[in-house]
Amino acid sequence: MRYNIGRVLLALLFLWMMTGNCLGAVDYDHLFRQSSDLMAQGDLDGALALLKKVPTPAPGEDAGAFVSSRMQAARIHASQKAPDKAIADCQEVLTLFPDNSEARNFVAALKEQAKPAWHTVLSDTIRFLPSLAKGALTTLLLVLCTMLVSPLGGLLVALGRISTLRPISGLCWLIIWFFRGTPLLLQLFFIYYGLPSLGITMSPLAAAVLGLGLNYSAYLGEIIRGAIQSIDHGQMEAAKAIGMSYGQAMRRIIIPQTYKRLMPPIGNEFIALIKDTALVSTIAMVELMRAADQLFNTYFNITALALAAVIYLLLTTIFTFIFEKIEYRAGIYEHR
Amino acid sequence: MSIANQPLLELKNITKRFKDLTAVNGVNLTVASGEKLVIIGPSGSGKSTLLRSINMLEEIEEGTINFEGREVGYVLRNGKRHPDRPQAISALRAEIGMVFQHFHLFPHMTVLGNVMEGPLTVQRKTADEARSIAIDILEKVGLSDKRDVFPATLSGGQKQRVAIARALAMRPKLMLFDEPTSALDPELVGEVFDTIHTLADEGMTMIIVTHHMGFARELADRVIFMESGSFLAQGTPEELFSIAHDNERIRGFLNRLL
Ligand SMILES: Nc1ncnc2c1ncn2[C@@H]1O[C@H](COP(=O)(O)OP(=O)(O)OP(=O)(O)O)[C@@H](O)[C@H]1O
Ligand SMILES: [Mg+2]
Repeated sequence: MRYNIGRVLLALLFLWMMTGNCLGAVDYDHLFRQSSDLMAQGDLDGALALLKKVPTPAPGEDAGAFVSSRMQAARIHASQKAPDKAIADCQEVLTLFPDNSEARNFVAALKEQAKPAWHTVLSDTIRFLPSLAKGALTTLLLVLCTMLVSPLGGLLVALGRISTLRPISGLCWLIIWFFRGTPLLLQLFFIYYGLPSLGITMSPLAAAVLGLGLNYSAYLGEIIRGAIQSIDHGQMEAAKAIGMSYGQAMRRIIIPQTYKRLMPPIGNEFIALIKDTALVSTIAMVELMRAADQLFNTYFNITALALAAVIYLLLTTIFTFIFEKIEYRAGIYEHR
Repeated sequence: MSIANQPLLELKNITKRFKDLTAVNGVNLTVASGEKLVIIGPSGSGKSTLLRSINMLEEIEEGTINFEGREVGYVLRNGKRHPDRPQAISALRAEIGMVFQHFHLFPHMTVLGNVMEGPLTVQRKTADEARSIAIDILEKVGLSDKRDVFPATLSGGQKQRVAIARALAMRPKLMLFDEPTSALDPELVGEVFDTIHTLADEGMTMIIVTHHMGFARELADRVIFMESGSFLAQGTPEELFSIAHDNERIRGFLNRLL
């Protein structure tokens, strides 16, 4: 019996030493597995308690388990919306290892999250605005060029359409038919990628203005033709009756009377134009849409797109206001 | 024939068709310088079309127009008749004033601008010259105070006087009036007739289409009754009334007017 008791005691001692070894120094795998299980069961506090059992290592001792446990605790605290405790967890790591990048990044992210939402939006705005503003200037340049070119082109095709010379009216009909009947995107592709194979190369800006200009000339051409033909025929007769030529009558009498009724539909077209410039992003031009798209793809940040929307709205609002003023001025002889 | 006796306007066999419809049918007309001619007739008889043919607002199919002894408006090319060069037609129109039933003032120009427009754009006078011509003429039609307003603010009678002034600013040799008072309220007719009367007294040659027989009797050297594109009768006002006595058609028309 005594012999037996001695053996049992020995075995117990051995077992004690084994378990002591386990908890005291080397094997934390079991503990981490346990805490993971508790987390899976939703017992976050239990998991935290287990993780806290990993002691601060003495200098020279392996610190892997300590760092892992504190970072895990920080993640749990962060998920519990307790950023202060999460930061404290990270600080424990950082007091021993000031260069630990995981802890530093986590603290930075936590502090970022702790800031109010408007602060983030503001800092994003400040970060994105320069490239968006540059894009917006390109958009504005495109819009202004097209606004300059297309009314002239439109007037030419309009006059051509109402010409009594069949070849001219036929040609202008064909131009309008083609440019109104095919997608603008296709026209831009054709000009920028297609024309070089015919030996005609041009800069993206020139291609964009040409494409937008032709397209909008076709649309404005029909609008202008309609406006000219809506002027009472008696105006042309009265002009002719005092000896005016067709050209003089058009220039002095008919066309000036179309301005007022042209402004609403042309204003509409130009608002559409501001947005249609987004299509030229496909021919290697960095305008507002492309700039926003690049930012979005770099930072996965929707603020860039929202800012672009605001700038588009700003542009359309300003132009709407200007068109309304011009319309009023053009029709002033009717108000007095 | 001396220049002095030469008629200002001579129409020979003027024929104008709209598809199957013959609006003016072989009309012959001679207008002496200074003569005042009134054309009457039922609606659709071709009065407007005849007036418009004279200044080429309508292209005629047959006949010739002589203005101051020159054949105008058309040229023969390869044996076919064509309208003359646009410049020649404009030059003819610049010498013939026309006043429309519905005024057709230029709404985007002030009254002064309307009257200046011919001298300025057609005769290429300087702005100062054109303005002083326009100011004089507006004074003559009694609208000096309306110089700077737009036509939209004028009464019908004032509009028609501005239209007359606009034509006069070109110093025309012949004035064509197509029912100048038909679009006016009755109380505004008088001021327009007075203006035309003043012009007549100054010796202007004119052809007036009107339904106002009283005015025709007072002003006309000759009245022409037109029907179905032809002249059915013509003469002095007195002669026409006596013809009307015997002619059922003319009598019926005049009775309906009076
Ligand atoms: N542009 C046109 N196209 C077709 N038919 C026309 C045209 N202008 C006039 N007509 C026709 O020619 C005929 C003569 O018209 P016109 O206007 O000369 O008559 P009018 O004598 O001036 O009549 P009203 O007293 O009503 O003014 C009418 O039958 C008219 O319908
Ligand atoms: Mg008529």
